Amino acid sequence: MQTLGERRAEIATGILTALVFSVLYAPVLISVLFSLVEIRGGKILWETLSFEPYLTLWSNPSVLAALSNTAIVAVVSVVIASVLAVILALYTEWSGALGRRFLELIIYLPFLLPPIVTGLALLVASAQLGINRGVATIIAGHTVFVLAVAYRLVLTRLQALPPSLVEASFDLGATGWQTLRYVLLPHLASAVTTGAMLSLTLSFDETLISTFVAGDQMTLPLRLWAMMRVGFTPEINALVTLVLLVSIVLSVITAWRLKPTGETEED
Amino acid sequence: MQTRFLRIALFLAAAAVPLVLILVPIGSFLLLSLFRAEKHQIIHDFTLINYVNFLGSWTYLGTFLGTLLLCLEVMALSLILGYPIAWFIWRQRGSRQYLLLLLAVVPLFMSYIVKLYTLRSMLGLNGLINQILLGIGIFQSPSRVLLFNQRAVLMTMAVIYLPFVILPIFLALERIPRSLLHASTDLGAGAWDTFRRVVLPLSLPGTIAGGLFAFVLALGDFITPQMVGGTTGFTIGRVIFSQFGLAYDWPFGAAMASILLATALAGIVAAGYAITRQRV
Repeated sequence: MQTLGERRAEIATGILTALVFSVLYAPVLISVLFSLVEIRGGKILWETLSFEPYLTLWSNPSVLAALSNTAIVAVVSVVIASVLAVILALYTEWSGALGRRFLELIIYLPFLLPPIVTGLALLVASAQLGINRGVATIIAGHTVFVLAVAYRLVLTRLQALPPSLVEASFDLGATGWQTLRYVLLPHLASAVTTGAMLSLTLSFDETLISTFVAGDQMTLPLRLWAMMRVGFTPEINALVTLVLLVSIVLSVITAWRLKPTGETEED
Repeated sequence: MQTRFLRIALFLAAAAVPLVLILVPIGSFLLLSLFRAEKHQIIHDFTLINYVNFLGSWTYLGTFLGTLLLCLEVMALSLILGYPIAWFIWRQRGSRQYLLLLLAVVPLFMSYIVKLYTLRSMLGLNGLINQILLGIGIFQSPSRVLLFNQRAVLMTMAVIYLPFVILPIFLALERIPRSLLHASTDLGAGAWDTFRRVVLPLSLPGTIAGGLFAFVLALGDFITPQMVGGTTGFTIGRVIFSQFGLAYDWPFGAAMASILLATALAGIVAAGYAITRQRV
């Protein structure tokens, strides 16, 4: 049952939601439109409609280099973070773990702190250790950034598993390794995959930490930033459209995987 | 039986990567803030001179306080926009609610740089907002007042960080048992009274936490102020960034970043405290 007041409140907030969502999604519409047609004097020139920018993009070496860096960084950092997440979750859930709260705080820090702090910390540390900045330092930056998310998802799943599962495995004569391999890991697999998807999405768009640790290397967001400073071309809009498309597809898949529990990365 | 040695060894094995990649770097820049730079050389003597210089110079301290104020405004604006939206989504049912929630969350993952540039072009001289305001007759001619000032930074940050606010508020609302709402209605409370005395107080901790997320995110942002703020958009993040670039005074930059870190931690701790106060 709804009263008149509730009805009005719902209509008002609904209008606000529609307005704000159209602003949030404006980037997608604007970049798609500008990548396909030219707009002059507030008029869309439909006769200029062309998919050409999407094709010329593939012959731009700096874009391809940035794309390959982004792919390498995303895959390597997500794999490292996923493995670490499982090890750390198993460790912090173990009854004999030392400094559990301390360790969790460290894991969550790069996700909670402003990226400028994480980026600077890695920049200073690599400079003092004499490590040259490049793909490896970007990987380090992305790994610590996405680790929090991957760890949280694995830990939540691990805590939801009944302790009797492990006890039963030991009672049936399984060794510690067998219990891990045949009981725990299969149960954690889907949480690890969801964490990896989410991490991939985050790594793909990560900009602020990368700025500090990239050195002379470029990832896709950094490349885009550099290109946009010069001015807009249909080619940039085509690249932006593709980047947004990948992000949206990745995040929708992740959200769909998270649906049953309604859980999100903001824990 | 586990010996103490084995337990420590296991801890180090498990924690090695987080310790080396997170704790050591943060420690190293905290340490760097206690050194000083002279002619682009770092002098390794312990000194508090960077902090003294920061507190003694209105240019830096003023920028820091201005940034804090800006971040509080971002927090307020994103709450004013975010709460009604979260409430609206909460009122919907089933797949419609899920779709709206998804629409609210997906922008989190859309490229940050791309969002900045499109918002900038929307606010610009020939941008969408100008066209609309011209169309409905509020502006007589295209105006530059929308871009390259503190207001533009505020609006852009509020839009970019809004999804971070909507989500915790929605989760807080979702946790309120329906029975409480029914009880309130059964006891004769109207919709407004139920909202004011039941829904709002119970969702307040999540709302505060959401606002603090926006605050912390805005605090460290150094690209938004540069992109839409132009020369007026000087925030502490930008000042820190320039110390590691053009100004090349790493210890001073590290000192300001340490102050930023402490402020952000205070915000995070407050958000954590707010979440534990959630009574349902």
